[in-house]
Amino acid sequence: MTENVIIALGCLGAMFVLIYVGMHVAVVLGGVSLIGVWLIRGDFVIASNLLAQAASDAIASHVFGIVPLFVLMGFLVAVADVGRDAFEVAHQVFRRIRGGLGIATVAANAVFAAITGISIASAAVFTRVAVPEMLRFNYTPRFAVGVVAGSSVLGMLIPPSLLMIVYGFLSSESIGAMFVAGIVPGMLLALIYAAGILAMAHFWPSFVGGRFDEGDTPLMGVGTMFVKLVPSIVLILLCLGGIYAGFFTPTEGGAVGAAGALVIALLRRRLSGTGLWKVLLETGHVTVSVSFLIICANIFSRMLAMSGTPQFLIQTINEAGLGQYGFLVIYLLIVIALGTIIDSISIMLICLPLVLPIAEGFGMNLIWFGIVTIVAVEIGLLTPPFGLSVYVVKSTLNDPRVSLGEIFKGSAPFVVMMLIVLTLLVAFPQLSLMLLK
Amino acid sequence: MAERFDTDTGEGQTSSPDGYNEPQALGFHRLTGAMNAIGTGWIFVIMILMTADVLGRNLFNTPIRGVIEIVTLSIVSVVFIQLADTLRTGKFTRADAFLGAVLLRNPAAGRFLQGVFHLAGAGLLATLCAASWPLLVESWQNGEYLGAIGDFQAPVWIMRAVIVFGSACTTLTFLFLAFADFRAAFAVKGRR
Repeated sequence: MTENVIIALGCLGAMFVLIYVGMHVAVVLGGVSLIGVWLIRGDFVIASNLLAQAASDAIASHVFGIVPLFVLMGFLVAVADVGRDAFEVAHQVFRRIRGGLGIATVAANAVFAAITGISIASAAVFTRVAVPEMLRFNYTPRFAVGVVAGSSVLGMLIPPSLLMIVYGFLSSESIGAMFVAGIVPGMLLALIYAAGILAMAHFWPSFVGGRFDEGDTPLMGVGTMFVKLVPSIVLILLCLGGIYAGFFTPTEGGAVGAAGALVIALLRRRLSGTGLWKVLLETGHVTVSVSFLIICANIFSRMLAMSGTPQFLIQTINEAGLGQYGFLVIYLLIVIALGTIIDSISIMLICLPLVLPIAEGFGMNLIWFGIVTIVAVEIGLLTPPFGLSVYVVKSTLNDPRVSLGEIFKGSAPFVVMMLIVLTLLVAFPQLSLMLLK
Repeated sequence: MAERFDTDTGEGQTSSPDGYNEPQALGFHRLTGAMNAIGTGWIFVIMILMTADVLGRNLFNTPIRGVIEIVTLSIVSVVFIQLADTLRTGKFTRADAFLGAVLLRNPAAGRFLQGVFHLAGAGLLATLCAASWPLLVESWQNGEYLGAIGDFQAPVWIMRAVIVFGSACTTLTFLFLAFADFRAAFAVKGRR
């Protein structure tokens, strides 16, 4: 172990401690890496120049426009009531099935996920739309909030996805290819959720609760149902269709999708001038915090490369005779553990600069590696004490009778199902790669 | 990622226990707020520009020149022009589990710790600001441009200037926040 590796590993340890005690993640990544480079090179000026380079180069690419554009699209579809319509249609389709409203929530979330790239938007929308309906039909509050939190992870697994975008930046893999690779795993997770809900409704009715809709809700005709789905279908065709067909790049797809969502929201009179401004402000804040994190992660990965730590780790793993699956299992367990306290994007920014060279050294397919990473990272959205989706459900619901603990308990079965899907994806890389040429 | 998604429900409406979203000395929050509005509006302009380019290219075979160059320089500028206000409104990502518990149980200690963190942030951004200054001077003196000569050209110095100015404002915001934290920490202690 060279001196530089010790410095880098020391920095890594310091980062985990500082992030845990609550220092801003970007400040930790940037500041500790700055000190690391300073120690390695013995010159503060070199280190600070590297920081300035990272600030002006790391995100200076028109590809980066994809971050604000997809975030904007996600917030716009959230206010356009597209999610509510998808849910109403799914409600009617699954009304004769036990646990049907739970399955309807999953199905509507899957459709919504194809037009949004952020899980917090899914969680907020379906807390407002689906939870009151499930409570009306006597589902247990624990199950109702659990389904919503659990299925919100589909938002970032089914393309488009902010996590796939960030992964694309970190790994230099094509974002378009990531979007294709996520389709089958996303569908698989939705199907396993639906099967799991069905099974729980049969074998564990006290957890699920619920009764059938006996004419409480007037039935819609096929025409009405179609009209309700038109906005979602148009947006999916417009945005993802245009990207897959090659009419435009993923970045431009974000712009077209955001413009389309804006038109739909305006046509349905769901958006006032001040409403649009609020959405834009929110978009700005999310964009800035994500982008600044990426800038700070850039100097971190430069520091790691400079220290030779990835090579050292590859050597250590080889000497320990772990093999690629041993490495992968340890990595995924660490990611899941980190997910209990740190948010998804920060985990990726800390782990991937260290781990990607190792995965590449093993000759792993980096697209598959990305999908597996994203599922593992997303488990953290649901695990206590810090599960972002659960917090969003809690603050959107704003009902003192439903505690955070209750929501975590309700989402626990969905965490188990995610672990099953993760295992399947690891065991069968073809699931992620089958649609890629 | 937005740690605190604005959901218009209760949270954040009361005076914030962590000192975010408060007005700042000298009306500094007005400056950062205005900068934030410019960046926010600019995202909207980028969306329109790109959509127009896609439509023009695919339907009328007339792309808009320079969209790629404009977007390339814009993204960095959008981030730095909004950085200070994003910090002031508490939207910088951090893990709340530990600090949140400390703030709840021992507000004085929590605010003191947070003040130290904010000072660290000020240190990082001040370093960035100082190190970015020579890059600004260089691109100004060399007349650095992005894009092919004869076609659309975007001046690089604008982006560098926004980085310097934006990180300077963020440094100040960090210092204001740290000041408020230390004041709150000692005020709470004094009351006991």
